[in-house]
Amino acid sequence: MKFGMARRFLALHLPDLATARIRRAEPGLGDSPLATWEASGSRRLLVAVDAAAAALGLAPGQALADAQAIAPGLLLRPADREGDARALRGLALWARRYTPLAAIDPPKGLILDITGCDHLFGGEAALLGDALDRLRHNGLAVQGAVAGAAATAAALARSRADQPIAVSGIEAALAAPLPLGPALRLDAAALEALARLGLRRVGDLLDQPRGPLARRFGKALLDGLDAVTGRRPHAIQPVQPPPELVESLDLLEPLITRPAIDAALDRLLAGLCTKLRLAGLGARRLALLAWRVDGTVQEVAIGTGQPNRDPAHLRRLFAEGLGGLQPDLGFERMALEARATDRMETGAQTSLGLGARQDRAALAELLDRLGQRARVQRVAPLASHWPERSVAALDPQAVPPPPPPGWSRPEQPLLRLRRPKPLEVVALLPDAPPASLRWRGASQRVLQAEGPLRLEPEWWRAQGRDAAGAERRDAYRVELPCGTRLLVCRGGTSGWRLHGYLP
Amino acid sequence: MQPAQTMTPNQSPLDPAPLDQATVLAALRARVARLEGLGRARHGMDPVPVAAGIPLPGGGLARAAMHEVAAISPGAAAAFCAVLLARSGGTVLWIASGGPEGLQAWPPGLARCGLSPANLVLVRAERWADALWAMEEALRCPAVTGALLAAEDAARLDLTATRRLQLAAETGGALGLLLRPDGPNPDPSAAASHWRVGPLPSGGGGHGLEDPRWQLELLRARGGRPGGPWAVTWRAASGTLDLEEAEVPVVETRRGQRGR
Repeated sequence: MKFGMARRFLALHLPDLATARIRRAEPGLGDSPLATWEASGSRRLLVAVDAAAAALGLAPGQALADAQAIAPGLLLRPADREGDARALRGLALWARRYTPLAAIDPPKGLILDITGCDHLFGGEAALLGDALDRLRHNGLAVQGAVAGAAATAAALARSRADQPIAVSGIEAALAAPLPLGPALRLDAAALEALARLGLRRVGDLLDQPRGPLARRFGKALLDGLDAVTGRRPHAIQPVQPPPELVESLDLLEPLITRPAIDAALDRLLAGLCTKLRLAGLGARRLALLAWRVDGTVQEVAIGTGQPNRDPAHLRRLFAEGLGGLQPDLGFERMALEARATDRMETGAQTSLGLGARQDRAALAELLDRLGQRARVQRVAPLASHWPERSVAALDPQAVPPPPPPGWSRPEQPLLRLRRPKPLEVVALLPDAPPASLRWRGASQRVLQAEGPLRLEPEWWRAQGRDAAGAERRDAYRVELPCGTRLLVCRGGTSGWRLHGYLP
Repeated sequence: MQPAQTMTPNQSPLDPAPLDQATVLAALRARVARLEGLGRARHGMDPVPVAAGIPLPGGGLARAAMHEVAAISPGAAAAFCAVLLARSGGTVLWIASGGPEGLQAWPPGLARCGLSPANLVLVRAERWADALWAMEEALRCPAVTGALLAAEDAARLDLTATRRLQLAAETGGALGLLLRPDGPNPDPSAAASHWRVGPLPSGGGGHGLEDPRWQLELLRARGGRPGGPWAVTWRAASGTLDLEEAEVPVVETRRGQRGR
């Protein structure tokens, strides 16, 4: 991290979020053990258990029938994973009271980047204590920790109940004594395989050579290990509050005809673009949702290359997709959501702006429009001697990097055949340049031939990927008596082929 | 006949008395061009030069206009178009129709003609109608300085379509090029000029290939005279088209066939 200050992360672990939610929703449950379950194939398995149930020996993943036999008084509710995820996200939004950078760490954790925020609450210990108190006051069991790396803090929070506050820089030493299960969130099979090798703690893994570990348990294990020891810190993705930028329209009479839908879209766009302007934003992705009277929802989504809030332009982008709507009996409600937005200069600045900026905006809008009906791309020059790999497609709004030296060589054709065409060529010797070839129905003498340029496939690339074109070939540039210049290649097994036209 | 009267130099108070015939002609040409909307003053840019020595109205290919290029051989004509597009000096769209099969404009080759990837946008439409639409949209955009539409063999381009493209180009100010294979009976077209481009043997005796030679033929030009065929050599190193002195039709030309 290239900041002046070392980052500090606070992790919160909420082991029984799912059951606590149920208890809050149904206050009359009392203190009986509680668990949630879901069907997995033909089996019914426990998903989450609360502390009382865990004390009886129940654990997530257990068969429902077994659990009921062990604890006859067990209260059961179906699991609601989406609801849990929503609740966790809600808690992350709540945690923005401490720092603007609050992220969820699914399934049961939160990670807060509290760098530079702790002094507002009287230090890191006071901040952690405040967060834990507030959550516990709401009936949630919670453990917390503070450390210098996000994954380390999360592992500490999961493994230790003593609210550790660790200084930065000793992440590996902190992680070493932690048991593998909670620290790395491994599944039961991997844990068992590691335990059979006598590896039970993070420190045991750190002592092992990395190569064999990766071969046997996959790269994910090493990635987790690097994250938890702080060797490779990863950034957290802070949650954003849901956008206010939604415009909706309830309709008394269902809309059926296209002109009516167009008019509704115009009203939605006008309202949304005003909101965008007031917020200083431009839309990058918009979705038009239409609720049909029979209850189904249809969606038309568009994207723009540059932030935009011009209703006329956005309407043109929607024009293509609106044809796909199926009103049948009509739409009773329509909503326009700005799914992604970007900062955009205010109107005054753009209207004062120079011609260049207006041109850029006009070009971006043009490319957006063309992208609705055609494939639009820019090209990125790549440094590769293999012709097919010297060009990569880029997003039309991207700025291509400058070409590497020697990128546009004379042997590059101007027009290339996507699939090289077999060609009848006569060469006097097996390795000699072509002497004549059949062109437009007649045999033509080759006036001049330049070559061969031997092209070898890039051996360091996987053979499977470019298998179609990855064959060694000799390229010749030939000129026919009429002046036509061609790029012909001799492949080992495919014979002579026409690859392209030269100027 | 109001314009005809004002065009007579003696009666116009704005034009000073002309000195010789060339000045009269130049003044008249400028007036006609203004009336026809060619190279409009508001776009304020010079026409795109082709080659020193080829007489063209205004000294080059007018911007804000469509030009048609009939290709005797795909390579030479595409290179000629790429050179012109590169000289238009800004963002260029290369529009092709058809599926993933077929010919593909290849950026490293285009870069040799001066068309760098920074200025190039490639567009491919599945259907011919979409390609025409894309061309029209591109020409209408003031941020585009050049657009090329590569037509396939079967593509139908009637007078209406070319007229639409011409009007779009007049709106946006871009140089529009229409690259299509040379055929015996081309459809009528509203393009401002009509070229026929083919290769010529370079005739070098050495080992390597010399710089390519092309034959340019101006079949029709609005406000100018048909001309050619001219033999030019494309020098990729300096980015120039050199006109050869001798006007020898090496390959039989269409105007020759008509018995000019």
